[in-house]
Amino acid sequence: MGNALRVLQAAAVLAVLLILSPVANSQSASLPDWSGVWERFEGNGGIFDPSTVEPQDGRAGNPGVRQFPPLTDAWEAKYQANLALAAKDRLPDPISRCGTPAGFPRLLALPDVYEFIVRPEQSWIITENGPNIIRIYTDGRDHPPPEEVWPTFTGDSVGHWDGQTLNFTTVSMIGDESTVLDRSGLTLSDQATVATRMFKTDEGLLRAELVIEDPLALREPWHVTRHFRRLPAGTRVYDYACAENNRNPITESGQTLTLDTEGNVIDIAVDEND
Amino acid sequence: MTKAIQSLLVRQKLMALTICFAGIVSVTEVVNAHHSNAMFDKTQVREVTATVREFQWTNPHIWIQVLIENEDGEQEEWSIEGGGPNTLFRKGWRPNSFKPGEIVEFKMNPMLDGSNAALFRGARFSNGETLGNW
Repeated sequence: MGNALRVLQAAAVLAVLLILSPVANSQSASLPDWSGVWERFEGNGGIFDPSTVEPQDGRAGNPGVRQFPPLTDAWEAKYQANLALAAKDRLPDPISRCGTPAGFPRLLALPDVYEFIVRPEQSWIITENGPNIIRIYTDGRDHPPPEEVWPTFTGDSVGHWDGQTLNFTTVSMIGDESTVLDRSGLTLSDQATVATRMFKTDEGLLRAELVIEDPLALREPWHVTRHFRRLPAGTRVYDYACAENNRNPITESGQTLTLDTEGNVIDIAVDEND
Repeated sequence: MTKAIQSLLVRQKLMALTICFAGIVSVTEVVNAHHSNAMFDKTQVREVTATVREFQWTNPHIWIQVLIENEDGEQEEWSIEGGGPNTLFRKGWRPNSFKPGEIVEFKMNPMLDGSNAALFRGARFSNGETLGNW
């Protein structure tokens, strides 16, 4: 290939880039600034829906602490069974085994910190705890057809930007098969759908408004709101690496053990048959 | 500002003031566990003077291995469990916060079954500096 042709090709590529880049830049410029590192704003009790928890300062998993979503009778019975197990400390939290993601929508209620990365065609929410990632496609695609989806921890999310607000719906979540919403044992089914609106409030908080529908678990749409606050500039995010030194394995009965540095069980009281 | 957020902010400010006057700090750093911590007796805070044997700055929890003298005058090894290193780092902890051989006072929630493990609540070093809830 001659030098002249190479120059012409390079000029053509440059011209295309110059034509396209203002479009991309203008799209990016229209997106909100959600940069930096954030943490959940509502309580550290691990409660998924702080607005319906009783008592209000209750921690997920503590005896007598529960939330009141509009559960169907069947799911209320499941919840009560899980509450009873949690009260005996025998409701294992799936993420405590260091092997599976927290899943959506629990992903919006985790400890440690968050990053929200927004681009015109796609956004990502990354949680340090886990870590977990949810990908939200905003390039115009729809959810896949039924024959191309299967239940996953985080499901499938598609949406669009409405000004500075990110709207998305999430489907195909694995539900109570392998996830809980918090350590009280609250769950949804794999038929749940979540419509989420995320936007920054006047106070600088990032607000997520969820409308959860589930023909098996819920009698009516369940509205849950959570917020995040931005941490000081320069805050870093680190590896979580749950399996690095997990000295708290969980037995078949759901008991959380404690190991010494050699891997021996410290606990004096261990459930029979474990 | 919504009423819910206002209420939460006010509650947090009140809590901060209460904490300030009570001389204690939030316990959130030790209870953001990746597992249930129901095995610890959180109604009891045991204070001990211990010799640090090893500091495990690891995920998903930090562990402080210490030697504590028992009633018979023998040194017993205890495992003190804390939160995750990432959040603790952002609260001022460092990978070398506890040095082997160092003598440190600890406050901790013992295990309900009496075994030699505990949940970290606070530490005071020989120079008077503290970590956690002291």
